[in-house]
Amino acid sequence: MSKVPRIPNLGGAKTFVLHRPHPTVQAITRQLSAIGLETVGCWPELPAEVLAADFVFFDADLGFDEQFPWKPGEAPMPLVALIGSEAPGRIEWALSHQADAQLLKPVGNAGVYSALLIARQSFEARKLQASEISSLRLRVAERQTIVRAVEALSKGAGDGRAYAQLRSLAMSWQISVEEAARRIVAMTEEEGGDDQSHRA
Amino acid sequence: MRAIADINADRSSGIELVPVERDPQSNADRYATLCEDIFRTSSARHVVGCVTSWSRKETIPVLEKAGGMLWYACPYEGFEANEHVVYMHACPNQHLVPLMAHVVPRFGANGFLLGSNYIWGWEMNRVARDLIADAGGKVLGERYLRIGETDVSRLIAEIRATRPNFILNNLIGTSSYAFLAAYRDLAAEDAAFSPENCPVISCNLTEGELPAIGESGKGHLSVGPYFAPRPAAFASSFEASAYASVQVMADVLSRKPDAGPAEFSKAFAGQRFSTRLGPIGIDAHSQHATLPVIIGRIADGFFEVVSREDEVAPDPYLSRYDPAKTFGRPRLRVVS
Repeated sequence: MSKVPRIPNLGGAKTFVLHRPHPTVQAITRQLSAIGLETVGCWPELPAEVLAADFVFFDADLGFDEQFPWKPGEAPMPLVALIGSEAPGRIEWALSHQADAQLLKPVGNAGVYSALLIARQSFEARKLQASEISSLRLRVAERQTIVRAVEALSKGAGDGRAYAQLRSLAMSWQISVEEAARRIVAMTEEEGGDDQSHRA
Repeated sequence: MRAIADINADRSSGIELVPVERDPQSNADRYATLCEDIFRTSSARHVVGCVTSWSRKETIPVLEKAGGMLWYACPYEGFEANEHVVYMHACPNQHLVPLMAHVVPRFGANGFLLGSNYIWGWEMNRVARDLIADAGGKVLGERYLRIGETDVSRLIAEIRATRPNFILNNLIGTSSYAFLAAYRDLAAEDAAFSPENCPVISCNLTEGELPAIGESGKGHLSVGPYFAPRPAAFASSFEASAYASVQVMADVLSRKPDAGPAEFSKAFAGQRFSTRLGPIGIDAHSQHATLPVIIGRIADGFFEVVSREDEVAPDPYLSRYDPAKTFGRPRLRVVS
């Protein structure tokens, strides 16, 4: 996990509140200003500047996909759902956008600060997990390359020793085993003119 | 009460305030019920009171239900901004942060953290841990005592063993007095623990407690928006801040007698109030006061002013806290 600063420095962070003009927006804006954030209210569309926002609060009651300049679940910043009606369809829709935290309407005197911190932490965790998953996927996709590299290195010496050699090459080149396997397969192909695909 | 009497005696104020008194006798469970009682049995909607954060948090739901307003005249740990509360005493950027900024370059950055076992101690020490890390220091110990506990021998032994540069004291009442007395005995045995070498620093210690602390407080540090000059207008910053609360309240009510919380927030915007704490502003969003920050050293029954900064704007969530500004350029750290 990346190290989160412990005094959460939210000063000057920019927040968009996607909600029709309503006392709820005033209550959220008051709390955000007290914490030290800059707030922009908008409805029904999010302006282009939203891509540079630090947080987006959105109305789960009247919201719809076309309001967002990103696909559901791919927001580049933490999202907080503002939930009034607990109709299952609306909750399902808010979930499809992967809200990182929620705030129940009507919004009173508190709740925004914890929503900000929870949203930020779960957004960061989700981002980290996604990048780990994608790097693992890439590595899994290289299984066949490893088999072929081991084959190329073994030359009668046995698979165990060939794999150990592959690992030690990866270490000395300071790259992953998969990357080393790709290099070896490429070298073998250059030598043997083999042009088979090496991806699983 | 003195502020109310003064305002009622001042014909130019144009209003008369009628006090309704209830005494919860420091029992945290009685604050909410007595506050409810005030709202039910009288037309009063403004409450000046509460000392601990615990009592304030107990009172808030009652204020929200009745549309009442609490004028809170004690330092607290920050991270709150309720529109039914006006925070008239210091929050962390007006007490702990400047106190640490004063202490670290003079004594060192390694601290020992003490607290009574409730929200003030927990949250203050949490912020202090971060500040100490930012200053390049180490937390050499963090210990809590239950409220009222006076056996401090283990704390003293741990402090003696770890040899910190300063001790942050968030103990309250008798625990705090017992600790200061035992710490003075330690200093008599080993000068490394004298106030000149390793001070005890506090954010809530006022003149009101000096008689109970006696000689053992001498030389240690505290911070607040007011320390009583001699002769003093007020006994402590709590009193001065309560007086200022009534002044601001009367000022707004004289212009708009039926003002509720929303109108108060509007009345604070861009306005400066002349009070016994000096001219102060109140941030319309967070309802925290802009206050002087004074660091005081305990002398014979009073505080000597060590430093003073006027009109420090509140930042209850430490959103504008900048380690480089507070402690100078970042120190080198060992990277493992």
